[in-house]
Amino acid sequence: MITVNTRILKAEFEYFTPNTIQEALHLLDQYGSDANVIAGGTDLLVQMKNEVISPSHLINIMKISEMSFIKAEEGWLRIGAATKWHEVVEFCAKDRKYTALYEASCSLGKVQVRNMGTIGGNLCTASPAADSAPALLVFNSQVKLTSAQGERIINLEDFFKGVNLTGMAPNELMTEIQIPSIHNGMGSAFMKITRVGADISKISCAVALERQGDICASCKIAMGAVASVPMRIDQANRIVIGKKVDASLVEEMGKKVSEEINPITDIRSTAEYRRKTAAILLKDVFWKAWHRAGEDR
Amino acid sequence: MMKRKIVNFKVNGESREVLVESNALLVNVLREELGLTGTKYSCGTGQCGSCTVLVNGKPALSCLMLAVAVDGADIVTIEGLAKPDGSLDPVQEAFLDHSAIQCGFCTPGMVIMGRDLLNKNSNPSESEIQEHIKGTLCRCTGYTSIVRAIKSCGK
Repeated sequence: MITVNTRILKAEFEYFTPNTIQEALHLLDQYGSDANVIAGGTDLLVQMKNEVISPSHLINIMKISEMSFIKAEEGWLRIGAATKWHEVVEFCAKDRKYTALYEASCSLGKVQVRNMGTIGGNLCTASPAADSAPALLVFNSQVKLTSAQGERIINLEDFFKGVNLTGMAPNELMTEIQIPSIHNGMGSAFMKITRVGADISKISCAVALERQGDICASCKIAMGAVASVPMRIDQANRIVIGKKVDASLVEEMGKKVSEEINPITDIRSTAEYRRKTAAILLKDVFWKAWHRAGEDR
Repeated sequence: MMKRKIVNFKVNGESREVLVESNALLVNVLREELGLTGTKYSCGTGQCGSCTVLVNGKPALSCLMLAVAVDGADIVTIEGLAKPDGSLDPVQEAFLDHSAIQCGFCTPGMVIMGRDLLNKNSNPSESEIQEHIKGTLCRCTGYTSIVRAIKSCGK
């Protein structure tokens, strides 16, 4: 085992603090794959201390005020990628429609990490266990990737490519997360299982559904730490769609989920544990979302 | 050799100017350049919370913060909680009264988290306190007295 001195940061790099997106894009264009964007630094500096990555240029985006905002407009909730988690928590506490996102953001890391880390950082690190990912996935979120050559909007689902891998080009910057508005009759929930409070998830799950009386009109499921990427479940959810929901149907959906996921054994859990837990976790999260969808607003 | 940068920030109400390398961590600048050894380094990877300081009024981990990134910030360390005449913050008094200290290594971070919670919530419940300090680890496992001390400051 390699012992790393985490007291210091050994890596040497050139450091930039752009004040605008344009400036940041210019730097990314210039240094591309030799550069890393740093936001809150709660993941990146750990990776750098552990010598997992060693960029020769570090571009801090936290002074770019146009990247930190939360706006609800024209059918979308738009969140700047450099918006800190405590701000997402505060917004969602007022506007409780995005319940799964609220629960995911409250549970993310700990107070100190939520004061430092950003929503874009959580996604760009692309950890399979990123807490925000399942919640954002079930809302059909999109991300805006900007480069000096232009911008493109892609589904979050297509953004994750593997452990710590994304579909972002070296000169691109994630500038915005876009979540479609939530309408009446929708309910959502997020839960995760950890060993102790502030741990990384062993497994996490989000559900967003639409309910018409006892019928489940739509149901989206996403899970974290069950595959190499935060995963959309798109088989098991079909079991309940368009059906009158009852306990046995949800039980069946739980079983199907544990077959559909592709977990590994690592320091946090075994694959077997994850498969067994997935079925139970899914049921709990589904019923939470279901009851919420039934509440009058 | 990396280019050094001048960083200006306020520490415990006093304006400071330090010359740092780009890879200098805030925890080391506080401890080694400014002699503020109350802030502790422990895990270095954001798990333990020992290095917690207030940055612009919010608790943050100084071991995962580049000193160059806090240019212009207002920082309060454990040394800044006591009043200029040396009298302790009520949270510090409560830690003494409740013997909420064993080895003392987590104490600066714990006291800062307690202060932060009480600033937002003047009468936190036991579970609110537990939730707030869950990322600040005590390996002497003195959590019971720590929670009791913070709770006693509520009104």
